[in-house]
Amino acid sequence: MVTLNHYLFVSGLLFTLGLTGVMLRRSLIVIFMSLEMMLSAANLSLVAFSRFNLVNGLPNYNGQALVFFIITVAAAEVAVGLAIIVALFRARQTTSVDDITSMKY
Amino acid sequence: MPAYYLEAAVVVLGIVLMLMDAFVEKAEKSLVAKVGVLGLIGVFVALFFVRGPEAGDAAPIWSFYAVDPTALFYKGFALITTIVVLLMSLDYRGVLQHFMGPEQEKAGAGQGEFFYLPLFTCAGLMWMASAKDIVSIFVALELVTISFYVLVAFLRRNVGSLEAGVKYLILGALSTGFFVYGLTWLFGLSGETELSKIAAQLANEDSAMNLYPKALLFALSMVLVGLAFKVAAVPFQIWVPDVYQGAPTPVTAFLSVGSKAAGFVVGYRILQPFIDANTTPQLITLILAVSGATILLGNLAAMQQDNFKRMLAYSSISHAGFLLLALGCARTAGSQINVQGVMALYLGGYLAMTLLAFHVMCLVRDQLGGEEIATYKGLAQRSPFLAFVLLIAMISLAGIPFTAGFFGKFYVFLVALQSRYYVIIALAVLGVGAGFYYYLKVVRAMYWDEAADDRRLAVGPMSKAGMALLTGIILVLGVYPTPILSLFASS
Repeated sequence: MVTLNHYLFVSGLLFTLGLTGVMLRRSLIVIFMSLEMMLSAANLSLVAFSRFNLVNGLPNYNGQALVFFIITVAAAEVAVGLAIIVALFRARQTTSVDDITSMKY
Repeated sequence: MPAYYLEAAVVVLGIVLMLMDAFVEKAEKSLVAKVGVLGLIGVFVALFFVRGPEAGDAAPIWSFYAVDPTALFYKGFALITTIVVLLMSLDYRGVLQHFMGPEQEKAGAGQGEFFYLPLFTCAGLMWMASAKDIVSIFVALELVTISFYVLVAFLRRNVGSLEAGVKYLILGALSTGFFVYGLTWLFGLSGETELSKIAAQLANEDSAMNLYPKALLFALSMVLVGLAFKVAAVPFQIWVPDVYQGAPTPVTAFLSVGSKAAGFVVGYRILQPFIDANTTPQLITLILAVSGATILLGNLAAMQQDNFKRMLAYSSISHAGFLLLALGCARTAGSQINVQGVMALYLGGYLAMTLLAFHVMCLVRDQLGGEEIATYKGLAQRSPFLAFVLLIAMISLAGIPFTAGFFGKFYVFLVALQSRYYVIIALAVLGVGAGFYYYLKVVRAMYWDEAADDRRLAVGPMSKAGMALLTGIILVLGVYPTPILSLFASS
């Protein structure tokens, strides 16, 4: 029997994986992917919470509505984010975070 | 007129300007900003005539849209900020022109977006002031953040601006990840998305929030991390100096005022019930620890900066520390003083003095071409008016009496004293002392040092009026802070 805890565990795992990716990887594209993974982790736990917190025998649909908002906003974020990364690539011919350090004092 | 018409009006104004941008001549793009300013002033006037839900009005919108003193105050706050930012952008056209690229030689090309994008940010900020449901908070916050991504990276031929854009993008998205994850757990524990219903459950002994205090603390810490990024608090302040330095100056100003206010209004709305109920006393400790570290680091790091913009970045970090201190006192402050009023007063003064400093910086950057403190040498000879308003802004930031900055800090110290947080108070006093040094360093450069050449600075009439108004706000709040405090007295 799969319980709420299983879902939360997987979601926590996804979140940690994403966070580790953001901190350790050096390519902007991969970092951006990891960030999306963190949002997916939130989505997974939202759906799980909504499924297991029944209201009058039905799932709590408030949480599922929030999932759609998160997906939509994440898409908007990717659209803007990738455009910025492309612009940076045009100017610097690199997407590695090691190369964007021109403002260290 | 229901209050949500205001946001609709700002969005419509933004779309109209977008269309206008397609039709006006390239050399006359400044018209877009001027119409924007006039439109926003109209919306600001309309702010005084809005109403909340009438008795018995159960329209769904009122369950996620609040109309209270907080909402109205921060809506006006967002509008004033945006108006000043548009005025600043007008003074920044030369720099925009320079970095919009060699193949678009026609004057004014690509400037239109810079003048209407802030309106969408403003709409987001206004929504956020009213948001009282997890969903609307999230969407409003993202509307603000995503439009900021575009604005920060706007100078696409300038590597600094692009780098700042990428850094803001990655860390902003990271903070969103934390914030959403925290909200998820809050929803999971309460089964509600409306903040007032979540708060109501705190009183219920059997609610999951009281049964699992550790899970609740986890959720709140995640929310706090997300907000700490937005308001630039230690240890999540690393993006601030680079992003502030790289972004176009009007955007930096917008970021430092708008983003901070948004973070605190949302932070207060979400966290206040939990601070009051005190089911998780660690939350207050956490807020206070972050506040102390922020005040200390912000002020000490600011002392060694030679770049004025970077210095203000660290100064904005230290102000976030003072505001967090006020937030941490929300439960323990004496009953005569409303902590929300204290935060509003602090932010109101902060708005005026920060925007003023950045506005002068825009003009100096545009006409003298530098952001180092050395560029400000002899500013009093180049333009006595600019030097005077910057002097007011600096002494107010430092917190000298008869300026808004003084009363802001005074009330924060007062609530901290009532709560007996003596260690943090000691740190804050140290921070204020350090502040005197680096703010007055700029004043010394302006008045005591000789200018390198005899160039004069020109100030347009609209900018002059805007700056004079902000100076007025600083001086009036410096002797008579009651209006803002009494606004929150009843709530």
